[in-house]
Amino acid sequence: MNDGETFGFLGPNGAGKTTTIRILTGIIAPTEGSASIFGKDIVKDTIAARKLMGIVHETSNIYDDLTAWQNLMFTAELYTIEKSVREKRGKELLELFGLWERRNDKARGFSKGMKRRLTLAMGLINDPRLLFLDEPTSGLDVQSNLIIRDVIRDLNSRGVTVFLTTHNIEEANLICDRVAIVNKGRVAAIDTPERLKGTIQSVQSVEVAFEQSHPDQMKDLENIPQVSEVRKEGDKFRLITENPSAVIASVMEYAKGHNNRVMNINTYGPSLEDVFIKLTGLEVRIKGVRTVE
Amino acid sequence: MRIYYLKPNIIVSGMLFPLFMFLAFAAGNPGGPSAMIPGLVAITILFSASSIEPVSVPIERRVKTFDRLLSAPVSLHAVVLGESMSGFLYSLAIAIVVLIAGALLFGMSIIIFLPLVLGLLLTSFCFATMGTLFASYPTESPGDIMSMLNVVRLPLIFLSGVFIPLASIPPLGQIVAYFSPLTYGYDLIHAGFTGSSHFNPILDVLMLCVFIIVFQFAANRLFKKYNT
Repeated sequence: MNDGETFGFLGPNGAGKTTTIRILTGIIAPTEGSASIFGKDIVKDTIAARKLMGIVHETSNIYDDLTAWQNLMFTAELYTIEKSVREKRGKELLELFGLWERRNDKARGFSKGMKRRLTLAMGLINDPRLLFLDEPTSGLDVQSNLIIRDVIRDLNSRGVTVFLTTHNIEEANLICDRVAIVNKGRVAAIDTPERLKGTIQSVQSVEVAFEQSHPDQMKDLENIPQVSEVRKEGDKFRLITENPSAVIASVMEYAKGHNNRVMNINTYGPSLEDVFIKLTGLEVRIKGVRTVE
Repeated sequence: MRIYYLKPNIIVSGMLFPLFMFLAFAAGNPGGPSAMIPGLVAITILFSASSIEPVSVPIERRVKTFDRLLSAPVSLHAVVLGESMSGFLYSLAIAIVVLIAGALLFGMSIIIFLPLVLGLLLTSFCFATMGTLFASYPTESPGDIMSMLNVVRLPLIFLSGVFIPLASIPPLGQIVAYFSPLTYGYDLIHAGFTGSSHFNPILDVLMLCVFIIVFQFAANRLFKKYNT
């Protein structure tokens, strides 16, 4: 990882994302290899390395019987932060995450999003140079999602390095400078989201919505010569193709021939999700992407 | 750890169980309840000191706050020692309440101060380390650990001279008693209350120290093996 970047670690469930974080934070020892945090070996110099990092675990691991303030102060004490500093920083963080008004409430009564925000505040109490975020926005409400994404961007702009695991590919696409795609415990590819997308131009698509639908529509669309795959997405169809312009012409002709009307039609380049699907399928090597086996 | 002190299973195991045990044996004891106070103090310490970690650690594993402790910039030894300290302080507070209750209700007086103080401190810490040792078992259910712990704790009550004098225990039981930390803890506390003891109090102190070192060392090893 480069200093100051937001690095996404993508992979399906069971790919080894959380295990990697547990190794990098010194909770479990690696079976082989080594890892260092700003030059501090995580196995040999664990405590010094941990002082440089903040950790937001996948589960909102806060003490339900303590208040938001007590949770923050307890975490600060674990990092031996001086009282005046931890109180000042605690106030700033609770305000930043919209929890200052609820500081004296026990965390037991907090919503999932509030607990997640408190967990993130606890991860930042030591003003870390590196922040580990394990699935930070998984299953959260829109407000919490937006706050957390804003904070990640703000941290990045202040030079904090962020290591983010997620299976939300769009999230990684929006906030990460680089991503690694892992599968079955191995890194399949590392690059910027755009470069990764650029490697699979064959996965372009045309999204179309018709005024009327009928049962054979999917089959008819699959029969268009340039279309390799059709996905039904709500009231729309996504046609995967290498030749979007030819497909658009065929779709318009098809609509006319069936007395139907195209309500909306869009073309899309490959998404990071397409890259992800391709890499976590069977293919490990992709042209132009640095792959690690 | 204060959030765990009032958990129902800790109150039952650490306070109520020793109290009912005391009442059951005091009712049939010719010396009356006052003669049972040293025993009550000893078993109260045994149950209260060893009950905190077997409840708190599995709960912390379940809600993942244990990961927070494991990933904090403190050594694993410090985390394990902190677990033992929580049981030690809890047990010490309960034992002092029992002492005061014994003095007020049954007029118990302390004959020798030093053995009693050492007995309270060392026995509390010893059983707290025993609780920590059991808590290293990698489960998220307190019941799993409590079951294993009771298999050890309950026989100790009857094989350590607390309710049945060591001299009255069959020879095989006496051999087992020598390997029980409760034997030495009770003997030291008994010396503080009555001035008499089965062993030399210095031996009691040494043996308790040995048990503390063994339990804490083993707990460190097992926490490292099963929890990291």
